[in-house]
Amino acid sequence: MSNVTLFDVANGLATLLLTGLGSILPQPLHGWLINPNLIFALAATLFGAILLGASMINTIMLIWFERKMLGRFMDRRGAMHVGYAGLLQNFADGLKLFRKHTLRPREADSLGFYAGPTAYMVTSVLIFGILPISTGWSSGVLPLSLLLALAIFSFAPLFIFISAWSSNNKYSLLGGMRSAAQMIAYEVPILLAVVAVILVSGSFDLTTIVNLQQNYWFWGPLFLALLVFVVGMLAEMERIPFDLPEAEAELVEGWNTEYGGMLFAFFMLADYVRALVGSILVVLLFLGGWTLPSYVPSALTSFPLAGIFWFMLKTYIVFGVFVWIRASLPRVRTDQLLKVGWMRMIPLSLLSVVLAAMLVLVRCLPVFGCVPGLGG
Amino acid sequence: MWVNMGPQHPMTHGLWNLRVKIDGELIVDVDPEVGYLHRGIEKISEDRHYNEIITLMDRCCYVAGIAWEHVYIGAAENALHITAPERAQWLRVMCDELQRLASHIMWYAAFVQDLGLMSPFLYGMRDRDLILDLFQSFTGGRLTYEYNRVGGVRNDVPSGFTDRCRKVMDWLMDRFVEYDRLCLGSEIFRRRCDGLGVLKAKECVDLGVTGPMLRSAGVARDLRKDRPYAVYDRVEFDVAKADAADVTARYLVRMEEMRQSVRIVRQTLDWLDHHPGPVLADHLPRWLGAPYAPMGNEGYLLKRNFPRGTGFAAVEEPHGEAQAYVVNTGGEHPYRTKFRSPVFVNLSAAKHYMIGYRVADIPPIMGSVDICVGEVDR
Amino acid sequence: MATDDLATQLAPRAGANILAVEPFQGLTARVRFRPEGALDVFRAVHDDLGYDHLSMVGAIDWVDHREVFYIVWSDVTKQYLGLSADLTGDAPHIESATPVWPSANWHEREAWELVGVAFDHHPDMRHLLMPDDYAFHPLLRSFKLHEPEELEVKSRSV
Repeated sequence: MSNVTLFDVANGLATLLLTGLGSILPQPLHGWLINPNLIFALAATLFGAILLGASMINTIMLIWFERKMLGRFMDRRGAMHVGYAGLLQNFADGLKLFRKHTLRPREADSLGFYAGPTAYMVTSVLIFGILPISTGWSSGVLPLSLLLALAIFSFAPLFIFISAWSSNNKYSLLGGMRSAAQMIAYEVPILLAVVAVILVSGSFDLTTIVNLQQNYWFWGPLFLALLVFVVGMLAEMERIPFDLPEAEAELVEGWNTEYGGMLFAFFMLADYVRALVGSILVVLLFLGGWTLPSYVPSALTSFPLAGIFWFMLKTYIVFGVFVWIRASLPRVRTDQLLKVGWMRMIPLSLLSVVLAAMLVLVRCLPVFGCVPGLGG
Repeated sequence: MWVNMGPQHPMTHGLWNLRVKIDGELIVDVDPEVGYLHRGIEKISEDRHYNEIITLMDRCCYVAGIAWEHVYIGAAENALHITAPERAQWLRVMCDELQRLASHIMWYAAFVQDLGLMSPFLYGMRDRDLILDLFQSFTGGRLTYEYNRVGGVRNDVPSGFTDRCRKVMDWLMDRFVEYDRLCLGSEIFRRRCDGLGVLKAKECVDLGVTGPMLRSAGVARDLRKDRPYAVYDRVEFDVAKADAADVTARYLVRMEEMRQSVRIVRQTLDWLDHHPGPVLADHLPRWLGAPYAPMGNEGYLLKRNFPRGTGFAAVEEPHGEAQAYVVNTGGEHPYRTKFRSPVFVNLSAAKHYMIGYRVADIPPIMGSVDICVGEVDR
Repeated sequence: MATDDLATQLAPRAGANILAVEPFQGLTARVRFRPEGALDVFRAVHDDLGYDHLSMVGAIDWVDHREVFYIVWSDVTKQYLGLSADLTGDAPHIESATPVWPSANWHEREAWELVGVAFDHHPDMRHLLMPDDYAFHPLLRSFKLHEPEELEVKSRSV
């Protein structure tokens, strides 16, 4: 695996830029520019920009991936005219939305109407700064990165409800209420499923969790937790079969009915960012992140950026499963959703915690082998 | 809180407005508001020739144009005392059943789309296209056919049509299995549709509800069986029926009807293969403007010689019982036409099968009614 | 004769209101009745004859009078029966059929707004297809097409 981290790249770029700029400038500016604090600040900014750009491009690719895959599921071809196989279609769509006039209903509350989508977008993208993507490709060591990621992830219902309420539209309000109820109901099982992972790995740090999984992916022994987590994530991501906050059949577009142009693009992008984050979390927590088991030939894991390659591959496969679900399941009803959430998912997630605790006690299972690095 | 679901709303499948009073997610009251698509077909018919009204009938319901042509033609032929040749009758039956297939497939596509299931929508559109291709091959139209004529049909089917049609029917029979697997095989589908939008047989009869909705309530009433028109007494088929009176039952009835339609179409194709003949009656009055009618002296009847009369016809259209009432006072135009649209009546009963369910249930219930606004407003 | 049978069956409850039972193209028969005794006739047809399903209510403007016709269906005999009444006078009206056949509701609303026949004791008489403030009855013979200046429709208030 590569030893160069993303931050090293950003740091190098910043140093190069500032020292280069500083060398041609007279003394007072020169001394100020090569100040290590400034270099660090620029490096952090560049790091953020690279991360943001990469995540945005990935998100847009994710939309393309979903469109193509849905197209195949539905016996059609998906986007295919802009760029090779429609690769640039979503950029064109984004550009179109960007150029559109953003309309605000006269009776809508201005502050909430604009702040809601913006905050939703910002909090969704923020998680990318926390998630490790490969060894060294994260913002640094955060001992509680898992908790922080989930905490930011669960901000969303607040902002959705703010934008829904301030839209001053009945459909938006209904959608916002559904969304809030649904996200709160599924927050709990998700966290409990994560507790199972934490119990087994003994760490809140995503990097540690992934490194532990090199030869012991958690999806097998913690299958129940994975199931609960995936279903909960589907609900959190508001994808079919849990997309009832924006059930277009009855609520037009749910909480984003009144939004158009760039504000709608914010919602749409943020939804896919969340979908990406959801898939990434599944990969990180249960599928071994960027690692491959050690019996895999080293040629497969030693080429440049191998970690990122395997990580993205796993992420897209997980997302493909989400698309598959979308193509083949109808939408559930609000009361059924909440009933399943409170009365099935929570007991199941509690059960998964108990199973994880037993796994920690037993340590070794017949098929899956022993839990590595416990108690360390 | 009153919510206007319409006139532009994804649930409506057309241009109408369902006013819903909701309490949280619960439906307390509903008030369907129609008329947004009112084109005044009955008024326009007052100064149209008999054959020109067929054009209007295609626009009456945009998914069942040819069935509506049959409705009107039946009444007009009664009113004008004209009988269509046998082959034309068989062709009409074939068209009706093909149209029923197209309409039900369209219904299936829209209905599951309302439930949030995306793929079957495109499967449905794909399969419906095959039927539209068939229609196009002998009527020239894909949506508005103008195929029936007073006294027969406009033209015969082209050679090779029957084989082509048989292939499509075989394909469709396979697809129906797929459709069922996607819907009935899905636990979520069953949970959403079972026990939803119940309208019992007694209420159905009181409220005048007909078609698949009535048959889903356990009343095996089908005009094709009970009061055979055209040549329905010479084809074999079963009346689809279910007992639960809910959305799933309506789904089952429509799926079974599609299978029976395929059965009927196959029989008509066999008959058409072996019985060539004229498809338009001789001796039609020239003022009917029927193309291909013999224009010689013997075919020309003065209109004062033409008897007056009032005609009534009822046809089992894909959505239910459609009726036409045509008053002929001896002129070139009908004095009055009146059409009974099954969806109009099924929709008027909305209060009885919607109150007490949830907002999320509105699309499946309305989908199971199979609204076609064109024929509600006429 | 089917028509004679019908007449005798209807006689006990609605005999006085029946004007004629005549054969009709496409229907079993058509019963012409006096509009004053409409409800009796409806009840007799519904209860005694078993025509429990009302298919259609329509009205025709014959210039000197207006006609209301009903098409009913019986699940027992599997037949359609027509009912028809001639309404005279400037303000033609007839008793609503909704107490007997609830399905008459929308049909009567439509017949009223298009042909201008009033239905007494109708539970919900509002405009159906036309805008709420529409002042014409379009299916009257006096209502000519191609006169757009007379058809100025005010905006619908929602």
